[in-house]
Amino acid sequence: MNGDVVVTHALGSCLGLMVHDPVARIGGLLHAMLPLSKINPQKAEANPYMFVDTGVVKLFKEIYRLGGKKSRLVVKAAGCGRPMGNNEMFKIGERNYTVLKKLLWKNNILLDAEDVGGTVSRTVHFHISDGKTVIKSGQQECEL
Amino acid sequence: MKQGRLDDIISDVRSFPSMSGTALKILKLIDDPESTASKIEELLRYDPGITANILKLTNSAYFGLSARIGSIRQAIMLLGWKRLGKLVVTSCINAILDKPVPGYDLPSGELWRHSIAVSVAAELLAKELDITADDEIFTAALLHDMGKLVLGNYVKEDFQAIETAAGEGIPFQAAERRVLGTDHAEVGARLLESWSFPKSLVESVRWHHEPDGVEKPRTIIDLVHVANMLCLMIGIGVGREGLRYEPSPAATRRLGLKTKQLELVASQTLQWANELSDLSETSSR
Repeated sequence: MNGDVVVTHALGSCLGLMVHDPVARIGGLLHAMLPLSKINPQKAEANPYMFVDTGVVKLFKEIYRLGGKKSRLVVKAAGCGRPMGNNEMFKIGERNYTVLKKLLWKNNILLDAEDVGGTVSRTVHFHISDGKTVIKSGQQECEL
Repeated sequence: MKQGRLDDIISDVRSFPSMSGTALKILKLIDDPESTASKIEELLRYDPGITANILKLTNSAYFGLSARIGSIRQAIMLLGWKRLGKLVVTSCINAILDKPVPGYDLPSGELWRHSIAVSVAAELLAKELDITADDEIFTAALLHDMGKLVLGNYVKEDFQAIETAAGEGIPFQAAERRVLGTDHAEVGARLLESWSFPKSLVESVRWHHEPDGVEKPRTIIDLVHVANMLCLMIGIGVGREGLRYEPSPAATRRLGLKTKQLELVASQTLQWANELSDLSETSSR
């Protein structure tokens, strides 16, 4: 709805994906925890938005269903953080980002802006009317 | 490090309000081979709040009992002593962990949600790794961040200095140590020591960020360590310090943990954690 602000808290290593159509004035925000749905197909069936591969596809489908046009879409990504050190197993954020980029590339969609990686945890405020996206991490705040 | 700061912190540990007397008495009874179900029932008769909480938790889908439990006696029979102990701690610690935590900037209820989530994740990891379920895993995970409740005000006061230290590339708890002379894991361990909790629980709390620091590595510490990192990563109880902690490669090696097992547990944790944390919240307020 116009005027609505969608907020997602504490992205950590999760992916936040904001998709907005400025003409149709519709938008959606995805908060996906894990890269691939094959890790838990039962969960993916119940909640496709938990995984980047199923969640991103479903978000775009919903946007198109509501009248969004691919050529007009503004797509932004946030999150995908990681803890310190070099333990590959804990690089869930990087794997989330890789799956996102692969999906977007396959569908000829480019990211308009991103605030990803690092050891911060981000909160996203996404304004549906104009697509304004504000990222907060700790005491810092910036517009994406 | 400021002079006298560590003394102030230790004095705060000593004056920190203890868990309810009923809970501590029940935990002692559970440890006592001479105790009986009726002794526990007798104690709980005077604490309807804890009783209600225990029954709600017992009947939650997480514990997966087929019969509906209506009394403490039934709960003891079906769950056994040790598991009852876990529920007693969970029911009593809620009021303490539910508070907002300054310094780390955790709003009211978030440390509680995090603690429950780490308990669930640690148990799920144990199950996934075929490690014999030890009821202490849940309790150790539940209590791992108690120290933040004492240290929070000091972290708030000196946040800039801790940030600067952490900016040099050391984990947040090491930055706490450099500036305050101690860290939230050590403070939590001292708190539990002052409550006469078993040594193995105290050690799990003390080493939850540095599982390689303990003289003899232990599975329970490794599990709490990994579960804690995982819950922070999926955004449950992640504070102002973000993800500035370091998962130990040795701990994951010791556990024999694989990436897909970690991700599977992540996918299962949120739902159970929400269910359990909501159950206790409603009954304690």
